[in-house]
Amino acid sequence: MTAQIEMRDIQKHYGSFHALKGISLTIDKGSFVALVGPSGCGKSTLLRSIAGLETITSGTLQIAGKTMTGVPPRHRDIAMVFQSYALYPHMTVEENLTYSLRLHGVGKADARQKAAEVAATTGLTSLLGRYPRQLSGGQRQRVAMGRAIIRNPKAFLFDEPLSNLDASLRVQMRKEIRALHDRLGATSVYVTHDQIEAMTMADWVVVMRDGLIEQQGRPLDLYDKPVNRFVAGFIGSPAMNFLPGHIAETGNAVMLADGAGTLPLDRGLQPGREVIVGVRPEHLDVVGDAATFHLEIGVVESTGSATYLTSPDGNFQLVQSERTSLASGDRIGLRIDPTKIHLFDPQSGIAL
Amino acid sequence: MTRTYTPWILLTVALALAAVYLFPLYWMYVTSLKTGSEMFANPPTFWPNNANFGIYPEVWARRAMPTYLWNSVLIAGGVTAITVVLGTGCAYVLARYRNHWIDVGLFFVLMLQVLPASVMITPLFVGFNQVGLLNYPRTAVVLAAAAKAMPFFVVLVRATFMSVPRELEEAALVDGNSRVGAFFFIVLPLARNGILVCAILTFMSAFGEYIYSKSIIQSPSLQPASVGLSGFLGPNSTDWSSIMAYSAIYVTPILVAFVILQRRIVSGLTSGALK
Repeated sequence: MTAQIEMRDIQKHYGSFHALKGISLTIDKGSFVALVGPSGCGKSTLLRSIAGLETITSGTLQIAGKTMTGVPPRHRDIAMVFQSYALYPHMTVEENLTYSLRLHGVGKADARQKAAEVAATTGLTSLLGRYPRQLSGGQRQRVAMGRAIIRNPKAFLFDEPLSNLDASLRVQMRKEIRALHDRLGATSVYVTHDQIEAMTMADWVVVMRDGLIEQQGRPLDLYDKPVNRFVAGFIGSPAMNFLPGHIAETGNAVMLADGAGTLPLDRGLQPGREVIVGVRPEHLDVVGDAATFHLEIGVVESTGSATYLTSPDGNFQLVQSERTSLASGDRIGLRIDPTKIHLFDPQSGIAL
Repeated sequence: MTRTYTPWILLTVALALAAVYLFPLYWMYVTSLKTGSEMFANPPTFWPNNANFGIYPEVWARRAMPTYLWNSVLIAGGVTAITVVLGTGCAYVLARYRNHWIDVGLFFVLMLQVLPASVMITPLFVGFNQVGLLNYPRTAVVLAAAAKAMPFFVVLVRATFMSVPRELEEAALVDGNSRVGAFFFIVLPLARNGILVCAILTFMSAFGEYIYSKSIIQSPSLQPASVGLSGFLGPNSTDWSSIMAYSAIYVTPILVAFVILQRRIVSGLTSGALK
C-alpha cells in the first residue's frame, strides 16, 4: 500500500491555543480512515489542514507524494463534504454538481454528461433542475456527496457529514458512503464525534484528544486493546465501566474498592498496586453462586433485544441480551471472563 | 376578548400614526394646486377648488429644475457608486475576520455615524479648501456625502455578509476557486439583494443631501435640487404654491421608486436572502 496522505509532526496554533500538537499520520491509498474524538479535540482542524483551509504552523503534509505547504485548496485536488453540506443556494443541483468541473475548464456537454452519471449513482436524476432549498436533508446530503465524487479527487474529506440527518437516515447513509468508497476505490478521511460511525465505516480509526492522537488502529483492535483509559471509555457503546481497586496479595486478582468483590485476573501484577479496572457492559454475566462481585440495580431499561441495567449512582452499566425479571433495588451477582478485564494505571491512565 | 380586539386596536393606532406622518405629504400636493387666497382660507379646504396644474411646468421651467435634478442625480449616483464599491469590500472584511482590530474598526465606523453633518462641514470645508477640492464642488460633495453614507452601508451590508455561511466559500475553494473568485461568484451573488437594497437606500438619502451641497457648492448651475429649493425662501417670498410644486416634482420620483421597490427593500432587509 502506498501512502496517499502523509503527515509528519503537524502543529497548529490559533494565537495562544495549541490545536494540533504534533500529529503524524499515514493514510494509505484506498483506505477509509476515521478521525474520531470529543469536540475540540482537533479532528476537524486536522481535516481542514489537509484540505488547505487552515494553514499548519509547522510540520509537513504530503498528498500523493507532493508537499502541500503553501498550496491553496484548489491545487490540492481533494473533495470535501461539509457538515452543513454547503450547497450553493443560487445554483441548481446540476450546477452544484458541475461547479468544480466548470472551474477546471471542462466543456459544458461533458460536464452535463458527468452530472447525469453521478446523479444516476446517487439517485438524484429527477432532481437535477431543483434548487437546494427545494430538497430534503437526505437529498441535500446526496448532492454534497455527488459534488465530491464527480471529479475523481485524490482524497475525499468528510466533516461530520451525517450529523444533521435523523437516526434512520444516518444508518442508511453510513452504508451508502462506505459502498461508494469501495466502488470508487477512493481514499477517504472521515471526521466524526460518533464512535459508532467510526467503528462501522472505517478500516482505520484514529482517536484524538486535545490535539494529540491517543491511539490508531483497526476498529476492533481499538475495542479489544485500548492503550489507555480515554480510548477505552470512548470506543464502545454503552461506555466501559471503570472501578477503582487494588491488586490482591496473590497478585492475580483485583480487590474492588468498597468491598464490592474480587475479580480474578489472567495475569500477575505487583500485589497492593492501585489500579482502575475497566469492564465493558456487554462482557458481564449475571450469575448466582459463581459471582465474584455484586451490584445493586438502580434502573432497568429494556429495548426488547437487550436490557440495560444501571447502578443507583449511574456509574456502572451492564447489558443483558436475555430478558430478565430483575427490578430496581435487586442485588445481583456478576462474573466476567478474566481475559476481558482491562486494567489502567490510576494516575497516567495507561493500560497495564 | 382582548385577544380578538388587540389586532384592531393596534391597526387603528398604526393607521393614525401613518396619517400623522403622511399628512404633510398630502398637504404638499394639495397646496401646490391651490391659489394664494385659498391656501390661507380658514377653515382650510382639503381639496383645491380649482386646481391649477399649470404650476408644475411653470415651476419646472422657471426654476431651472432639470439642471438641479440632474445635479442631484449626479451627486447621488457618485455617492452610491463610491459607497457600494468601497463599502462592500469593507463590510466583507469586517464580516469575515474576527479579532480585536476588527472590533476597533467597527467601533470607529459606528462612531462616524454619530457625527452630524452640520458638525463635520466646517473642518471638511477647510480641508477641501486646502487641497483645492472646492474648485470641483460636486466632487467634493460626493466625497463628503459618501463618507457620511458609508458607516450605515457598511454596518448593514456586513450583516448581510455574515448571513452567508463561511462553509460555502470554503466549498468553493475546495472545488477549485481562488479566494477572489469565491468572493465574486459565491458570496457576492448571495449577498446581492442586501447590497442592492442598501445601495438604493444610500441613493435615496444622497438624493436629498442638503448640508454639504449648500455649504460647498456656490454656483447655482452645480447645485442639487435640495439646495435649489431653499432658493425660494427669501425674506419676501411667500410663493408657497411654487415651493410645494417644486417639492412635489422633487419628491415624486423617489416616492414612486420606493413604492415599486418596496417589497424588495423590506424582504432584503429582513431576510438574509438565503434558504
